[in-house]
Amino acid sequence: MNITEMKVKEDATIKSFDKIDSNFRKRIMDLGIYEGAHIILLSKLSFGLLYLVEVDDVEICMRKEDAMLIEVSR
Amino acid sequence: MIYLLAGNPNVGKSTFFNYMTQSHVHVGNYSGVTVEKRVHHIKNLPGANLVDLPGTYNVSPNSEDEGVVTYSILNENYKGVINIIDSTHLKRNLHLTIQLLELGVPTLLVFNLKDALKNNGYVIDTEKMSYLLRCNAISISAKERNKEDQLKIVDEIKHLQALKALELNYHPVIKWGMQRIHDLLRYDNFQVKKKWLALQLLEGNEGIYEYLDLSKKDKIKEVVKEVEQRVIDEEVALSLKGAIFNTRREFINNVVKECLIKVEEKEHSKYFNQRIDKYMTHPFFGIPIFFMIMLIVYQISFGQFLGLGNWLTGFFELFWEDIFVHYIGLGLEYLGMSGFIYGLVVDGILAGVGGVLVFLPQIIVLFFLLALLEGTGYMARVAIVMDRFLSKFGFNGKSIVPIITGFGCTVPAIMATRTIADKKERILTILTIPFVSCSARLPIYVIFISIFFTKYRAFVMLGIYLLGIIVMLLSAKLFSLSFFKGSENRFLLEVPPYRMPQLRTITYQALEKAKRFVKKAGTFILVGSIVLWLLSNNGFSGINIDPSVSFLSDIAGFISPIFRPLGFGNWQATSSLISGFLAKEVVVSSLQILYVGDIAGGFTTLSALTYVIFASLYVPCISTVATIKAETQSNKWTLFSVVYPFIVAYIVALAVRLIFGLFI
Repeated sequence: MNITEMKVKEDATIKSFDKIDSNFRKRIMDLGIYEGAHIILLSKLSFGLLYLVEVDDVEICMRKEDAMLIEVSR
Repeated sequence: MIYLLAGNPNVGKSTFFNYMTQSHVHVGNYSGVTVEKRVHHIKNLPGANLVDLPGTYNVSPNSEDEGVVTYSILNENYKGVINIIDSTHLKRNLHLTIQLLELGVPTLLVFNLKDALKNNGYVIDTEKMSYLLRCNAISISAKERNKEDQLKIVDEIKHLQALKALELNYHPVIKWGMQRIHDLLRYDNFQVKKKWLALQLLEGNEGIYEYLDLSKKDKIKEVVKEVEQRVIDEEVALSLKGAIFNTRREFINNVVKECLIKVEEKEHSKYFNQRIDKYMTHPFFGIPIFFMIMLIVYQISFGQFLGLGNWLTGFFELFWEDIFVHYIGLGLEYLGMSGFIYGLVVDGILAGVGGVLVFLPQIIVLFFLLALLEGTGYMARVAIVMDRFLSKFGFNGKSIVPIITGFGCTVPAIMATRTIADKKERILTILTIPFVSCSARLPIYVIFISIFFTKYRAFVMLGIYLLGIIVMLLSAKLFSLSFFKGSENRFLLEVPPYRMPQLRTITYQALEKAKRFVKKAGTFILVGSIVLWLLSNNGFSGINIDPSVSFLSDIAGFISPIFRPLGFGNWQATSSLISGFLAKEVVVSSLQILYVGDIAGGFTTLSALTYVIFASLYVPCISTVATIKAETQSNKWTLFSVVYPFIVAYIVALAVRLIFGLFI
C-alpha cells in the first residue's frame, strides 16, 4: 500500500520510494523521509490533492502523485 | 577571521545571526528568506565576521541557493563553522551536522529553540553531545537575546580548535569507493580534506564539479556509477545516497537516544497547529481566508476604514508641506534667492522627493504587517492552499513567497526564486513577478485614487493589485505552454509550526525596508527630480522658461503620440513614464513637477484609469532589469523582460479604455 491508501491519523512504516526519480528522492530524503521511518498521515488537503504527513516530528506536505509512489506498511 | 553559519532552513538562523551580530537580517518563518550570503561583525569579538549562509538540509545542493553552501566550504577562506540546529527536530538537523563534522574544521554546534524543546518536555545533554560528536556544543534560545549566552558563544568561538574529522562506519562498498576516488584526487589541490570530498562526490554533490576543476573528473564520475551499481547489486541499499544516508541515520538515532532527555510529559504543540490549520488550509475557506487577510492588510495600510497608514500619512504631510517646505521657502526668499534657485529647490527637489516620501508611513505599515504574517509561519500554509491553484498556471506552490515578496520590492522577490529547484519554473517565476505591484508603484495609485476615485479607495486599490496578479498568472500560463513546456513542476514543503514572531525583529525588518525606501528617495529620486526639473525648465529658447517649450517637452512630445490611443498622449504624462524607468516612485515626483502640483487638471477620469494601469504593468525599473540579468544569466530573457511587459501594458490599458469608455 502507499500513502494515499492510508486513513487520516493512521500511522505506518515507510517501506520504499524507489519509484520516485533520483533527483526528487534526494529532496525527499533531505526532509527526513527514509525507509523504515515512522509516518503519520495528518490530513488530506485541497480536496485530496495534497497530503500532509508527519515523519519524525516534521510536517511535510506533498502532492498526491508523489504520495502514491511512497510505499508503506502498517 | 571568518566563520560560516550553516543550518537547515527555518531553524532560527537569521534570528541567531542578528543576535550574534546585532544587525537585522530579514527574519521569516519560512525557508528561503536568506538568499544571499550576508556578512557582519560578531559582537564582542573584535576582528571576527559571521557569514550567514542560506539554509540547507544537506551540503550537496538541490537548488541554486543551496549551491552557495558547497561553494563557501570549498573556496571561502574561513576559520571555523557554526552549525545552528533546531532542537525540536534533531534527527533531521543532525544530517547536515554530520557532513560538517566530517569536514574536520573547527565547529561549534548551537542548539537553538531551547525554550520550544522545553515546552515539549525535553532537554538536550550538550556535554554528552559534545563528547559523542567530539566538538563544542551549546544550547540556547536565540530569540531571547540573552547577553550572557551571547558572551558564552563568543567565548566558545574564541576557543574553537581544529578537530579530528568525524568518521562514521560506512559500508565496505562505500569505503572502497571513497578510497578509489581519493586516489583519483591525488593530483588536485584544495583546502578541504580529500576524504570528505570523495564522500561528497559519492553522495552526488554536483556542485563540486562546478566549483572545482578536477583533473580526473570523468574518471571519478565513472567510479561513482560503478559504486552505485555495486550498492544495488549487493543489496546494501536502494541507492548509493541511500546507503550513506542509512549509516548516518543509525548514528544519529543513537546520538539522539543518548542526548535527548525527557524531563516531563507534555501535550505536543502540534495539536494546536492542527486545530488552526484545519481552517487555514481548508479546501473551501483557505483561499478566501488568505484574501480576507490580505484585504485587511491593505485596508490597514491604505484604506479609510482601519486606515492606520492613511492616518499617519496625514500627519506626515502636515509636517512636510506646512512646516518643512514652508520654512525652507521662506528661508530662500530671505536670502534673496528667488526665481531659478527657488524653483529648483521648492518645485523641483522638494516637490519631487516629498511627493514620494509622503508614502513612507503607509509603506512602513504594509511592511510591518507582511513581516508579521511571514514570521508566524502562515506563508507556508498559503503555499499549500495556493499550490493547486498556482500549479495550474505553471507556477509552483513555493512561488508564493517570491510573489508575496514582490508586493514589497521586485528585486528581493526575484532573488527569492532561488529556492525553486526547477530551472524552468524559476525563470517563469522571474519573468512574471514584475507584474506584481511593488511598493514603489503604490504612490502612483494613491495619488490618482485620491484625486479621481476617492469613493472606492480600497476597492480600486485592490482591483489594480488583482489586475497585476491576473496578468502575472495568464503570462505564466502562456509561458508554460510555450517556452517552458514540460517543466518538472514538483511540490514538497516542510510545514513549520506556528511561532509567535518577535515584535523586535519585525519592527526592525519594517524599518530596514523603510530605510531603503528613504535611501532611494535621497538618491535616484533626488537626481531624477533635479534632472527632470532642469530639462523641463530649460530649452532651446533659454533658461527658466515655460515647461511646454522645454527640452523635455521636445523629447517626450516625439514619443507621446504612441500613447494617444490610451488617452494620455501628452508630453507630461509621457516623460513621467520615461523617468519611471529609474524607479517607479519617480513617476509621481515627475507628475508633481511637470503639472506643477495640479495633476487633476491633466487627466480625465478615464485617462487617469488607463494611465494608472499602464504605469502598473509597463517595463520594470532599472534595478529589477539588472537583477533579472544577474539571475537568469541571459541577454535574451533580460530583453524579453523589458519588451513583453510594455506590450502587455499597452494592450491591457487599451482594452480598459475601450471597455470603461462605455461607462465613464
